[in-house]
Amino acid sequence: MSLGEALFGAFAVPFMGRALVVLLVLAIVAGVVGVLVNLRGLEFISDGLTHAVFPGLAIGLAIGGTAGVLPGAAVAALLGAVLLTWLGRTGVTTDAGIAVVLTTTFSIGVIVVSRSDDYAGALEALLFGRVLTIPPSEVLPLVVVSVLALVLVALTGKQQLFRAFDPAGSRAAGDSPFGLDLGLNIAVALVVVAGASTVGSLLVLAFLVVPGAVARLVSVRLWLLFPIAAVFAALASWLGLAAGFAASVGAGVDLPAGSTVVAVFVLGYAIVLGVRLLRDRFARGIRSEHRSVAGTGERTA
Amino acid sequence: MTENVVRLDDATFTYPGGSSVGGFDFAIGRGEAVALIGPNGAGKSTLLRGILGLVPLTHGRMSLGEPVGEASGPMADAAARPVTAKHSDRGMLGFLPQSMEFDLDFPISLEQVVMQGRYRRLGLLRWPGRADRAAVRHALETVGLEELAATRFGQLSGGQRQRGLLARALAAEPELLLLDEPFNGLDQPNRDALVATLRRLKRDGVAVLVSTHDLELAQQVCDLVLLVNGGQLSFGPVADVLTLGNVQRCFDGVEVEIDEHTLVVPGHEGH
Repeated sequence: MSLGEALFGAFAVPFMGRALVVLLVLAIVAGVVGVLVNLRGLEFISDGLTHAVFPGLAIGLAIGGTAGVLPGAAVAALLGAVLLTWLGRTGVTTDAGIAVVLTTTFSIGVIVVSRSDDYAGALEALLFGRVLTIPPSEVLPLVVVSVLALVLVALTGKQQLFRAFDPAGSRAAGDSPFGLDLGLNIAVALVVVAGASTVGSLLVLAFLVVPGAVARLVSVRLWLLFPIAAVFAALASWLGLAAGFAASVGAGVDLPAGSTVVAVFVLGYAIVLGVRLLRDRFARGIRSEHRSVAGTGERTA
Repeated sequence: MTENVVRLDDATFTYPGGSSVGGFDFAIGRGEAVALIGPNGAGKSTLLRGILGLVPLTHGRMSLGEPVGEASGPMADAAARPVTAKHSDRGMLGFLPQSMEFDLDFPISLEQVVMQGRYRRLGLLRWPGRADRAAVRHALETVGLEELAATRFGQLSGGQRQRGLLARALAAEPELLLLDEPFNGLDQPNRDALVATLRRLKRDGVAVLVSTHDLELAQQVCDLVLLVNGGQLSFGPVADVLTLGNVQRCFDGVEVEIDEHTLVVPGHEGH
């Protein structure tokens, strides 16, 4: 299989094309939301939400089959967002509260799934997604859920950044901390909902965390972080899908698509981190060279 | 008679936890500056936060420009009549918090921090426009930092950051500027710049309420002094209020020396 075939030709196959569309939308939205997650340090809350959504997926599947997964996840995500936001306000140590919610909801989900006939198959689909078998009828709902998250972040974006930078100042300026936290948590939850059906409820965390972290390594310009994270996520999704396709069709190695995409995300992060460390070392080298030249100058003067 | 920008009548502010400061009975007019003086823990920050609406008014009344708040809600006592404070009326306030702790790595420029001062006017839906950018530029010029507009906030010196936060408060184009210990830890050039800025603001008709331990500042910039310890002790012109007796009573038990420039209070930073 040629490179061009893997990168472009593969997506002429309908199920690959659908997977690409859904993943690109998810990647761009998760990248943008992920910058706020990074700046607010909400990685653990996001992890809590991925677990909180799991029982919703399971109950949705039990009640309505595959078509029930998305509505079930949406209900669970909203409840989870409200619960975690409220916990964050009650003085319960946030980490402890999240950990309790995370494990409780996850065990509820596993119990529900265990009642189904195809325990292992259902669990695998919910945990690790089924990006290559998304039915055409589910593409639009997934896109709508993603766009809703983007709208929520666009509406509250500048106030979210203010709160991330200076929580006390944001409050003094009249912004409601609860309202802003709830808005951001719901946006994260919507990304989790869209991601749970595609890359799975566990791996979606990579979409929320890795692109934002990459953007922080690349730039210190606030408004550049968002396009950098979105472009990185989209590029990594595309390459990941293509790599998975090439491996299974070209080499006969059947890689799970969602995990392959996430592996490319992490690989991308490692590369960017490596380049950044090299650049920092190089910059330090130049500076110390300047210093030693200046030092010599002073001595001779 | 100057037009009052803020007026408190027998006002008490109470934290939900129960601690309160009360007996505030004063008014600040346009172009007037008031020095808020008292020992640590006397309630200076609570008063400022109360005016900002962050600590509930539980007794008496407070007006900003026109009446905006009487004590209301479950914490209010019987003497208070319920009237809802309109949030938008607080748009006229600028606030410089006490030395703020923040992440020096946060990717935000000075200009972007100053723009945050406009957000209360913009609300959720509107994004900054030409008028907002002009106000930000003007605020940066006022504090003398226009050259550093694009610099990352974390790369500025402590004094520059403090001036940047003052610019953020000014970008709100406030009628009342609240400053909490703005002179703590400032070196002489930054201190002089702040004094000059406050004088200019007064000339432009801005009312200023500044908490400080710096009597020299109180005399240089302020017309009035508000002595506080658990509540209002006295309020009036600098020369009348800032007497050794009054200050000693205010700092109760702490050894205080006062000469023409400095208030020496053991355990306090600055002058």
